[in-house]
Amino acid sequence: MTGMLAATGIRMSFGGLTALKSGTIEVAAGTIIGLIGRNGSGKSTLFNCMTGYFRPKVGKITLSGRDITGLQPHRIVEQGIVRTFQTPRLDFDANARAAVLCGFYPARTSTFLGALAGLPGVRREERRLAEKADHIIERIGLGPQRDQPLGTLSMGQVRLVEVARCLAANAKFVLLDEPAAGLTREEQLVLCGQIRELAKQGIGVLLVEHNFFLIHELCERVTVLEEGAVIFVGTPGDVARDPGVLRSYLGAAAEYAGGRVAE
Amino acid sequence: MRGLTSRPNTMIVLGLAIASVALAARDPVWTDTWVIVGVYVLIALSTGISYGQAGILSMSQGAFAAVGGYTAAVSTLRFKLPPGVDLLIAAALPALLAYGLARVVTRLTALATALATLALGSVIEIGLRNMDNITGGYIGLAGIPGIGMIDTPLKYCALVWAMICVCVLMYENLVNSPFGRALNVIRHDRVRAQADGVNVPQLLSAAFAFSAAMAGSAGWLYAHYISYISPNSLDTQTSISALLMSVIGGSGIILGPLAGTVFLDVLVRHLPAQELQGMFYGGALILILILAPTGLLGLVPPLLAKFRANRGSRRTTKAARVKPEAAQ
Repeated sequence: MTGMLAATGIRMSFGGLTALKSGTIEVAAGTIIGLIGRNGSGKSTLFNCMTGYFRPKVGKITLSGRDITGLQPHRIVEQGIVRTFQTPRLDFDANARAAVLCGFYPARTSTFLGALAGLPGVRREERRLAEKADHIIERIGLGPQRDQPLGTLSMGQVRLVEVARCLAANAKFVLLDEPAAGLTREEQLVLCGQIRELAKQGIGVLLVEHNFFLIHELCERVTVLEEGAVIFVGTPGDVARDPGVLRSYLGAAAEYAGGRVAE
Repeated sequence: MRGLTSRPNTMIVLGLAIASVALAARDPVWTDTWVIVGVYVLIALSTGISYGQAGILSMSQGAFAAVGGYTAAVSTLRFKLPPGVDLLIAAALPALLAYGLARVVTRLTALATALATLALGSVIEIGLRNMDNITGGYIGLAGIPGIGMIDTPLKYCALVWAMICVCVLMYENLVNSPFGRALNVIRHDRVRAQADGVNVPQLLSAAFAFSAAMAGSAGWLYAHYISYISPNSLDTQTSISALLMSVIGGSGIILGPLAGTVFLDVLVRHLPAQELQGMFYGGALILILILAPTGLLGLVPPLLAKFRANRGSRRTTKAARVKPEAAQ
């Protein structure tokens, strides 16, 4: 499977504030790309433009050469570009199985009227989807927990359910919004394993992260945003060595760490 | 067989319908009552879909039923369509109205959407009152023919309860489909639904149209049965009653509206004194909403769980008692 999700020269402003001046990033199928930057650097804005939640004024988003700029979120999902949320938006009373079943919506073949009439094809599809959901949950390592309410799972397991929901939607590209937030180191390692697994299956992954550990573990290339523009593209190793990035991004953390030491 | 066992609500309502119609057949007064209750069950069920599933606090279900009723009247009296064929129009016309409205307003807040449905209901009512040459204005239309072979109250009773069974089946099919799950997600979190690839306004409109078609078919049956329809027959008051019935029974539960309708009907019949009735009625409603915020049927799952837990613990205590004896 070849494919490329690319954003070029995305500009986005809210009233007088230009959140993103020129956002450019490329994610090839089967690769894991990182997007980092300080708070307010425009990475969430770029993320939301690529998933259809914002409509950029200038710039282009393409999927394997086809222009998908400004499509509505559900259309973007239909193209196989699926996102997760920083704060999981899930019904915590529902179980993992029900949550994953909801992800199958774009893959459905039935029509609304067909569903009302309860056509045999619709019922067959229902059974097939239930099996597929179990299979996906098994694959992501949550088999034993599949009937538990999401509220009883750990944060790490909930993130995995989110990834499973993306898989159900037949994702070709998965965009993860700070998936490591609130996870323990062990949970992060499990998540890393699953994300690598996605890439191995040919899915392109875009990782918006604050957590440099995850970026370092996973990403082939990293794009660094600063004040709405790309200031660096390279491997995680290069990023950690680049003085400009260190000053802008890690520098802030270093200063913070230094301040704490001084205390 | 497999198809039927996977639709427990339909099975329950089918059993209830057969038993109740058989009972109602014994007394003409009951038969008549049971037809009208059936019409209200259909309208309340339609509210269950618009409010309980799509989350649209609809104040126009009565108006949709009125459109269905007037369609029945006009197409059989004026255009001499055979009764039966007009059911299609009586269901399609409200569905179209509902779809059009919902496409425009569902992107607004829940309150704005509710007000828009109230406004649509008023517009329909005013329209019916003022299009004298078509709808008969304030006087309404009389002499609506019956539905072909359906010529006794008992047959109407059987027909309306058969329609309820079909509607519950379709409702249950919907709930057990990707669309039903997506509606659940929309009620919970619209942004999440978008991320699942759901075209939110379109799906909400489709569900609202389905609910309007159901209300329209209730109006269709009502008009043919009573043989007379006026702007006061099915109005905003009907919409509010239907909403109450479905909320009291449990709007998110498939059979909730049915339970609510029957319960309120029984309640009204057993309340004392005409003048004080409103007071008792209102008091009872408030009491139920406090005691059962998810509706009467919402009380069932926790009770069942308690019952099971009790039985389970009794079994374990028995087992515990047996053990020492066995040891001796």
